[in-house]
Amino acid sequence: MLRYFTKRLIFLIPVLLGVSIVIFAIVHLAPGDPAEVMLGPSATQEDIGKLREQLGLTKPLYVQYWIFLTNALKGDLGRSIKSNAPVLEEILERFPATLTLASLGMLFAITVGLPLGVLAALKQNTWVDALCSFFALVGFSIPNFWVGLMLMLLLSITIPILPSSGFDSWKNLIMPTIVLGIQTMAVIARMTRSSMLEVIRQDYVRTARAKGISDRLVLTRHILTNVMIPVVTIAGIYFGHSLGGVVITETIFSIPGLGRLIVDAIRAQDYPVVQGGVLFFALCVGIVNLLVDLLYAVLDPRIKAQYRSAK
Amino acid sequence: MKVFRPVLCALLLVAAMSVPAFAAEIRLAQVADISSLDPHKVSDIYSANVIRQIYSNLVQVNENMEIVPDLAESWENPDDLTWIFHLRKGITFHNGEPFTAKDVKYSIERIRNPETASPGATHLKEVQSVEAPDDYTVKIVTKRPFAPMLMSLTRYETSILNEKAVSASGADYGSKAAVGTGPFKFVEWSRGDKVTLEKNPEYFRGPAVLDRVIYRGIPEDATRLIELESGGVDLIPGNFPYQEFANIEKNDKYLTYKVPAMSTLYMGLNTEVKPFGDKLVRQAMNYAVDKQAIVDAVYFGFAAPSRGPLSPVIWGFDPTRTAVYPYDPVKAKELLKQAGYADGFDMTIYSDNRTERRSAAELIQAYLAEVGIRANIELMEWSALLSTSAKGIGGAFMLGWTGTGDADGGMTPVYHSANIGSSNRFRYKSEGIDALLDKGTATLDQDARKKVYAEVQELITEECPLVFMISQELLGASSKKVQGFKLYPNMISPLYTVTLSE
Repeated sequence: MLRYFTKRLIFLIPVLLGVSIVIFAIVHLAPGDPAEVMLGPSATQEDIGKLREQLGLTKPLYVQYWIFLTNALKGDLGRSIKSNAPVLEEILERFPATLTLASLGMLFAITVGLPLGVLAALKQNTWVDALCSFFALVGFSIPNFWVGLMLMLLLSITIPILPSSGFDSWKNLIMPTIVLGIQTMAVIARMTRSSMLEVIRQDYVRTARAKGISDRLVLTRHILTNVMIPVVTIAGIYFGHSLGGVVITETIFSIPGLGRLIVDAIRAQDYPVVQGGVLFFALCVGIVNLLVDLLYAVLDPRIKAQYRSAK
Repeated sequence: MKVFRPVLCALLLVAAMSVPAFAAEIRLAQVADISSLDPHKVSDIYSANVIRQIYSNLVQVNENMEIVPDLAESWENPDDLTWIFHLRKGITFHNGEPFTAKDVKYSIERIRNPETASPGATHLKEVQSVEAPDDYTVKIVTKRPFAPMLMSLTRYETSILNEKAVSASGADYGSKAAVGTGPFKFVEWSRGDKVTLEKNPEYFRGPAVLDRVIYRGIPEDATRLIELESGGVDLIPGNFPYQEFANIEKNDKYLTYKVPAMSTLYMGLNTEVKPFGDKLVRQAMNYAVDKQAIVDAVYFGFAAPSRGPLSPVIWGFDPTRTAVYPYDPVKAKELLKQAGYADGFDMTIYSDNRTERRSAAELIQAYLAEVGIRANIELMEWSALLSTSAKGIGGAFMLGWTGTGDADGGMTPVYHSANIGSSNRFRYKSEGIDALLDKGTATLDQDARKKVYAEVQELITEECPLVFMISQELLGASSKKVQGFKLYPNMISPLYTVTLSE
């Protein structure tokens, strides 16, 4: 198990290396450059040239990449061109907000989506099922910035109980959590329902029932553990997704997270921040995927056995 | 609702009790968070607004864009090249250091040092030397007679810093420390979110009324409005969405602010691209576009058709001017025919993706089509548009110009042939324009300058290496309790005199 884990961690290295090359190339090959953005429309070519040299942008690309890579390995992602602050410091300052939001969003999605799906499956083809499915469909279809604005109108203006933006207290987290989690919630609900319907019809469930095991125990021990695997997969994918997709939520509620940091950096052509931020995201998504795979082993003894035999 | 009422009352009670004794705190919402509080290293308006509250300059502008004393009490010109400033005495920086002429010398030299890479260096490029003969006198010598000097010294980019404070913080200056002589002191900056200032009790004009100032960056228009409505912010100092302004003006819960902006928006023409080298074609395009339609459709009425190359609030604008090139498609067609383009021609309009510019480009496209000119629109990243147009873009481009507040800063960078390759994106050379622009800076007699600039405004209008469009208005709004706020045309509004009523 440990060996598998280390192996997977080592596999992350070429992935990150690949990501670093791709992002470096995209950032540097895109037209325009930070010197121009910084100096604005009135700058002379001479000023721009000087600044470009100072920022090390006149060196050949492969040299710039090599400098970036070797520094990154030492944990130094450079300094932001815009604010002059160390990039790693900026990322670490912003990451907690994004991680909190993405985690809470996922928690919301699972705690609401899972019961909804179970309920729909248990009451298949009744009005409860229809209602749950409708709820899930709506949750999936409406754009989340719209949900955000509607929530704000409702909870900040009509019934003014929540602040509409910022990141000062737990109250600031309620609306963003719902906005970020609602689509995942819908997907999980749909997934749980269909997976439940499949599992319910399995022989082992009938056997369990025939043995006289209580309905509750059949549901928790025999059905749900099997339902969980596809749900965990989806949750894992969407967690990575919401780390990246958090930018819309961060923008609507003006939360100082990593997503907004990167988007603002792209606008300002702040190369070091874009490179560092994307690399950091890639690392996070890689780790989340790894954790999901490990969770499979916890949930499914067959998968755990595979890891053992692979030893 | 009945059930909720007691709960609501309890919540309100708790909220009321948790508020400490009344401290005058104002919360402002800008479109973006600041990028740094080192005035010599920033070029964005959001940082500039906060910088304005923390720092002072030798001289300042008032709300009519007239020059008034700040750190310098008075100034004189013994000859056309020399500026002597007499400084106020007894001023201290927020770190307790006394303010002297050495700080001015240090600041100007820091801006001019290429290692600082200051975006504001361009405002001081005519400076030959700066000296501090004694603690309260500063002598600046320019390379040539340079009348717009005072306006350059009002810019936030030329704020006066304290050397000790800068060297004490090193690379963290501007993010963890910011030391000036202004009415508010820097407290903290939570990056990406907000920056907090507090009253400087030692301010040389007497302490401000406000105790605390919080500037927040709220990028989403709708969120900014909801925050104002829900009381989360008190003041939106500019960048109020045009389409919402008429509504809020009618609502007596709010105060609104409206002032003509320093900037003008136009469609530039690269005169090296055929057929834009032909004056008749350029004039035809100017007649072909209905500027009022852009004002109404894109700016919801909160703009005015251009009255020439300068916005009316720039010093040196000739007040006798009226809107240029009234909409006249018949005349446009006639001019095109004279120029040999009776059947029109194909062209490209380059724009970045900002809503207003893109919509304006689409309207222009439609108007040009009516006189037979087939324009297609190409969208580019902002930085790409800046660099490509500086080097010579393959057609027309949507751009705005703000300048410094002085006619020179409003025209020389854009129309003088010395700036071809950088800010003269029309790549247009006219000896007449060049000569007048040079003459305008060479005399320190402001009345004589005004006459020169009146002449050059007319000449540029006639030559029109661009399609004139509009000057927009700056819009802002606040809750009723905000008193005494004035929106400045340069969008950098001081909060010193603002008070809050309960």
